[in-house]
Amino acid sequence: MRKPFFLGVSLIITIFVYLWQQNMSMRLAYKVSSLQSDYDKLNSENDILRLKINSNLALEKMDKIAKENNLLRPGEKHIIYID
Amino acid sequence: MRKKKNRINRKTVLAFATLPVFFLLFAKLIYLQIFLHGRINRAVEKMVNRENVEVPKRGDILDVKGNILATSIKSYTVFLDAKMIEDFETLKKVLSENGIKIKEKNLYDLKNMSYIPIAFNVDSFTVEKIKGTKLKGVGFEAKYTRQYPQGRLLAHILGITGCDGSGLEGIEKICNASLSGETIKTKIIRDGRGQIIRNQFLNTQEIYGCNIELTIDRNIQFIAEQELRKAFEIYKATKAICIVQDPKTGKILAMVSLPDFDCSDKIKDIRRLRNSAVSDLYEPGSTFKIVTVAAALEEGKAKLSDSFYLDNGKFRIAGHTIKDDHKIEGSATLSRTFEMSSNIGMIKIAQRLGADLFYDYIRKFGFYSLTGIDLPGEAKGLLMDVKRWNALTLPNISFGQGIGVSALQIINAFSSLANDGILLRPFVIQKIIKCNSEEEIFEKKEIRRVVSKDTAYIMKKLLKNVVDLGTGKSAKIQGYTVGGKTGTAQKIDPSTKTYSTKYYTASFCGMVPAINPEFVVLVIIDEPKGSSYYAASVASPVFAKISKRIADYLCIEKDDIK
Repeated sequence: MRKPFFLGVSLIITIFVYLWQQNMSMRLAYKVSSLQSDYDKLNSENDILRLKINSNLALEKMDKIAKENNLLRPGEKHIIYID
Repeated sequence: MRKKKNRINRKTVLAFATLPVFFLLFAKLIYLQIFLHGRINRAVEKMVNRENVEVPKRGDILDVKGNILATSIKSYTVFLDAKMIEDFETLKKVLSENGIKIKEKNLYDLKNMSYIPIAFNVDSFTVEKIKGTKLKGVGFEAKYTRQYPQGRLLAHILGITGCDGSGLEGIEKICNASLSGETIKTKIIRDGRGQIIRNQFLNTQEIYGCNIELTIDRNIQFIAEQELRKAFEIYKATKAICIVQDPKTGKILAMVSLPDFDCSDKIKDIRRLRNSAVSDLYEPGSTFKIVTVAAALEEGKAKLSDSFYLDNGKFRIAGHTIKDDHKIEGSATLSRTFEMSSNIGMIKIAQRLGADLFYDYIRKFGFYSLTGIDLPGEAKGLLMDVKRWNALTLPNISFGQGIGVSALQIINAFSSLANDGILLRPFVIQKIIKCNSEEEIFEKKEIRRVVSKDTAYIMKKLLKNVVDLGTGKSAKIQGYTVGGKTGTAQKIDPSTKTYSTKYYTASFCGMVPAINPEFVVLVIIDEPKGSSYYAASVASPVFAKISKRIADYLCIEKDDIK
């Protein structure tokens, strides 16, 4: 009587573990997928921000702004070199 | 009993009625599972499993200090799928709010097509906003677009890419294989709701193209471009070139060719893509005299103190009269001849050398051969074979006419003197940085020794004298000694096929500081218009402005306290 009972229980546990594993792997796959898109999004945002920094610091642009604000290049005497 | 019989009959009828249905279902199940199993499996796999092509990001191009000169940004093409659109008016409104306009007035105008591109190069922020509305019938196609944050700066060196993203000019072309990266295919699964399920995490950075680090310094490039552009506009020149080189390593610190273009804009005139500094040939004029003098000194055919009779500025040879622009009465030493850039003096020095020896030195200095620079379209130059030289060839070449050279060859020859007589390979690519941070570093490469260290030292002193006492006085800069040579070359008039008295090329090539040079600068102004066309008044002042700013920027120790 005990033998078939344990057999049944172990069968149910095995099926349960199998189903749980299938479910978990599916859930993890969804998570990986969402993390991948987050990662790609952050990467692309990072690229855009790096481009913005470099565009804003472009020397041609800075020179134009300096000219608009009537800024001049400092003369030899205006520069003090600190050792 | 009758009742029971009736009941049995009903049960039997019910059984007979339902059993065939179950039988048919069972038969269908067997048919599907056993006979159609393979076909169905394939169809499901086709629906669920997708092959995803991961397009790699093209590598960045950086300057020597890591500033981004070219990069790729993910952008999107927004398209409509007419079959999927549920609410056209709302869709139109949402897209319009995000700066995308649909020309079609109603859904019928879209003609039931599945792919109607409506906007290109849309940034990811806008795409996310549109995605957030969860409207049906709008799709996004991602691709990388090339961006040049520095605008026109370095246009000729960086080059351009085609619509497929591959390099067509400049570094983009030369390093296309390294920059492109690897396209890989990954398998993804789509569930019933169309959601993507991945079984592995892909580090997209691992498939990115390599980054290329150049020897170019953005600041030096800007200085050279700014000063050269001013001169280019003032003299209404047809072309202008400036190259800055580190003579100790051969590294190119800046390279400008004007007219230029903006890499991000549509190129209207394809001729502007040509990098004149590398691809165009010109007759160098007096800057070439360094070859004549260095060869004569090295071979012991002439000494600094040797005196040359300069025929009062007019010398007749092979039926032609050669004139000196800076007339010297009577005789002058080799040193003075060089300082005052006497053509007649150079002819007499070259005659002492002889054609074969002179030809050897021209080739030794790297003329009529490729320098080996890592840029596309390099010109070899023009030089007649020594066996075919006539009575006028040697005299002409001795002062830089009758020979075609590239700007790069001239600066490299000057750099060889600055580098104690050793000719180096010029280069612009310093490092290739792979995505796993591995680096391929390019070092300086010695080509050959051209002249001895002693001859190189004498030449540097002679070049210093040119600036201190001779034709290059306008190249002087405050606080630093300068050595250099002016060059005003006549150009061939295409209509008469003879040397023009209207079209000239003014150039100046010099080094700072004069005896232990940290950098060499070449300035060429082609066909300057205005009151003067002489290198001393056109090219040398531009050299002085560029050199002063570079010397200050590089914090080079001042060696001229006077």
